[in-house]
Amino acid sequence: MEELNRMNELSGMEELNRTKKPQPKGRISFTLPEIEKFTLDNGLEVLFVKKERLPIIQLSLIIDAGSRFDPNEKKGLSILVSSLLDEGAGGLGSLELSNAIESLGSVLSVSSDPDAMFISLLSLSETFDKSLDLYSKVITKPHLAEEDMQREKRKQINRIIQAKDDAGYIASVLFEKLVYTVHSPYGLPEMGLTETVEKISSNDIRLFYETLITPQNSTLIVVGSIDKEILRHKLNIALLGWHTHMKPIISVHNPPREKTRLYFVQKEGAAQSEIRIGHLTEGRNKPDFFARALMNSILGGQFSSRINLNLREDKGYTYGAHSGFNYNKVNGYFYVSAPVKTENTKESIVEILKELKGIQVYISEKELKFAKSSQVRKFPALFETYGQIGRSLANMIIYCLPDDYFNTFLDNIKKVTLEEAYEAAHNYIIPDELVIMVVGDREAVKPQLEALNLGSITELDRDGNVIGTV
Amino acid sequence: MDDILKINYEKYSLDNGLEVILYPDKSLPILAANIWYRVGSANETKGKTGFAHLFEHMMFQGSKHVPKQMHFKYIQEAGGNLNGTTSTDRTNYYQSLPSNYLEMVLWLESDRMGFLIPALGQDKLDNQIDVVKNERRQRYDNAPYGMAWEIIFSNLYPENHPYHWPTIGYMQDISNITLSDVKDFFHTYYVPNNASLVIGGDINIPKTKELVQRYFGPIPRGNSVKEVFAPEVSLEKNVSLIHEDNVQLPRIYFAWHTTNAYTDQDAALDILSYILSSSKNSRLYKTLIFEEEIAQDISAFQHSAKYGGSFVIVATARPGISLDQIKEEVFRQLDLLIENGISPEEMEKAKNNIKASFIFSMQNLNSLVNHLNEYNFFLKDPDSFHFDLERYQKVDAEAIRKAAEEFLRKPYVELRILPKSITQE
Repeated sequence: MEELNRMNELSGMEELNRTKKPQPKGRISFTLPEIEKFTLDNGLEVLFVKKERLPIIQLSLIIDAGSRFDPNEKKGLSILVSSLLDEGAGGLGSLELSNAIESLGSVLSVSSDPDAMFISLLSLSETFDKSLDLYSKVITKPHLAEEDMQREKRKQINRIIQAKDDAGYIASVLFEKLVYTVHSPYGLPEMGLTETVEKISSNDIRLFYETLITPQNSTLIVVGSIDKEILRHKLNIALLGWHTHMKPIISVHNPPREKTRLYFVQKEGAAQSEIRIGHLTEGRNKPDFFARALMNSILGGQFSSRINLNLREDKGYTYGAHSGFNYNKVNGYFYVSAPVKTENTKESIVEILKELKGIQVYISEKELKFAKSSQVRKFPALFETYGQIGRSLANMIIYCLPDDYFNTFLDNIKKVTLEEAYEAAHNYIIPDELVIMVVGDREAVKPQLEALNLGSITELDRDGNVIGTV
Repeated sequence: MDDILKINYEKYSLDNGLEVILYPDKSLPILAANIWYRVGSANETKGKTGFAHLFEHMMFQGSKHVPKQMHFKYIQEAGGNLNGTTSTDRTNYYQSLPSNYLEMVLWLESDRMGFLIPALGQDKLDNQIDVVKNERRQRYDNAPYGMAWEIIFSNLYPENHPYHWPTIGYMQDISNITLSDVKDFFHTYYVPNNASLVIGGDINIPKTKELVQRYFGPIPRGNSVKEVFAPEVSLEKNVSLIHEDNVQLPRIYFAWHTTNAYTDQDAALDILSYILSSSKNSRLYKTLIFEEEIAQDISAFQHSAKYGGSFVIVATARPGISLDQIKEEVFRQLDLLIENGISPEEMEKAKNNIKASFIFSMQNLNSLVNHLNEYNFFLKDPDSFHFDLERYQKVDAEAIRKAAEEFLRKPYVELRILPKSITQE
């Protein structure tokens, strides 16, 4: 009997043809999680997805209150507010509050980006009631005390000082400053500058909180193992007494693009050059978003795309290079990012520019098909963890995407044509109007940049001030 | 709680020694495949470092039936994600993708296990040596404080210990790797009897078994792998080191020898690190950052592996604060803890958090499947979530105090990273 099994096995092996890639077996079926919507008594909109695999409840409050609301001379305000929100609330001091949350095994986090602030809670079902009570205190009754603010301010200023160690951070922040200019609310680093953080007062914090952190200006996303009506009831009680105030209106300046310019920041003895290349573009909520996303995934959006295969797998200049669109609520920018070996700085820029022009000249049907297949088939994985579902929903809110965004996502990807991909390459990549930013060792890199023959090179310090032109 | 941590799995071995662990979970139409090879930088020798990690890169360069770059492309085209990691003890390769691609994954993984060498040429090796050297520049040489771990571990462990060198290897050693070195390394370690494969997610058990046999069964068993020799280590006296770096704020590191992974004392030291630095109320955070404001950040952790463990404390000084001041406060806090022990509240908080993080960690299939492989590697039993949690729950306050006394009163390596004295604009 054993011998017979072995025979069968062997004959099976002989049939195995390794030269052919096995095809997928059958089709998978995937049902989108149902997104339920309801509004609390105070006007707060709630998006809820019931998920029962584990006894976990996750809440995330998305507030339309990022650093674009910071006055330029007080840049860093929203981050400071976010680090201050959980420093004492509802009669509990900073350490008491942290202690109470920790005792429950829950995780509370407050963060901020240029567009939004996020107050999130991850809790086990068994400690949800107590966790929700503390969570609601942070949202509705933060202390925002002077003493706590001074302490958090000192910490933030030190973070700004520390960030100057990181060539990648300097390159990204100064690139953004050049692309947006200081006239845009997105032009200065979210963390602020030492002198702008110094200027923030308790009054600024209080005003930011009262005008922006309100039910009308927020959406609550809940993913978890709980019944909808019970949740609604608990939230109504927890967030009672949280009201809406007048909100400031922010205008966003879209600076015009200019002819390609080259910038350089010195980092003595750097073993690598950090390169950023790109320019301002339209925002995310446009019908050609899908064509743009597919085009970028061919260009540099994933490991096996052109820029990475060229710079990494073919030339060995870098450990990894990629391109992308960074979107905010009103506009966005296209960028290529690559840390490269110092000696290869020039060739890397030449190759990147070649790829930017190349995508406008040639895209194959096969590449487009590959990009579509990748996007379509990874769709179910967007809904795997509690956090992933929350993030998918948060994107809908932040970018004001239509309610049926996920229901129509697959069709929207599938119907992009080759012509539309070309159009996206032409409309969203402008090879003659780039900001090229390099952070690296002057002695080794300067001659290479000059040899590019792209005109004058402006040298900046780590704060972005012009030091000189070559 | 008990039900959640109980993993329904099946483990068996193929005739060639490959261990297979199957874990069905039908909640989404995806699957995760994760293979561990029992080889890491500990299997390397002096002057020949960086092999295991460079090898991880070579495994994505195609094999006899899979053209260069296509391994990545096939998985991404299927909507999946993939990668590999190398540690001192093991190398893993993992991917997750829609569950109807099971056969393709087995084909890709088995092809590089069985047929990597015929597709390996000097050009691929040269390219990946360049890529890895760039990875090293990015993570070590050009990163703020990036050289710290290399300096600490090469001083904590003597030259004849397998943890003496960094996993990524030394620049010169990486440059010197030859094609025949790589081939020898492959034949020694990348054999079915030195690996375990976990497949989890939306799978059919009998069908999966049949396919695993079909693709991996014919790969011949290799020689058995020689056990790593790791001498007993201890420091005779404190080692003080200074390194200058392109940074703004000075930072101080302390590292003590402790105990290996998954022992009871390992759990006690994990909890100790939690009590020292995990929240605003933790001892070092509260005094150094919150009350005295002398440090910008602080962390403490038990870093444990197969052949050794270490306990590390790291703090960055605020501008104008001396590292001596930080050192004094850190040791004052350690003394207090060793003299007076820890409170029941601290213990309860730590245990509640560890329990909750166990549940939170089970959300993601890739990480769950990796955990099964890790448990299998260290404990021989993939379903060890219970054992692992229990190891923490049974630690009492006195065990933590004793662990601190036993390990943290011994000699240690102290590293200070100071801003370069050159002027910067």
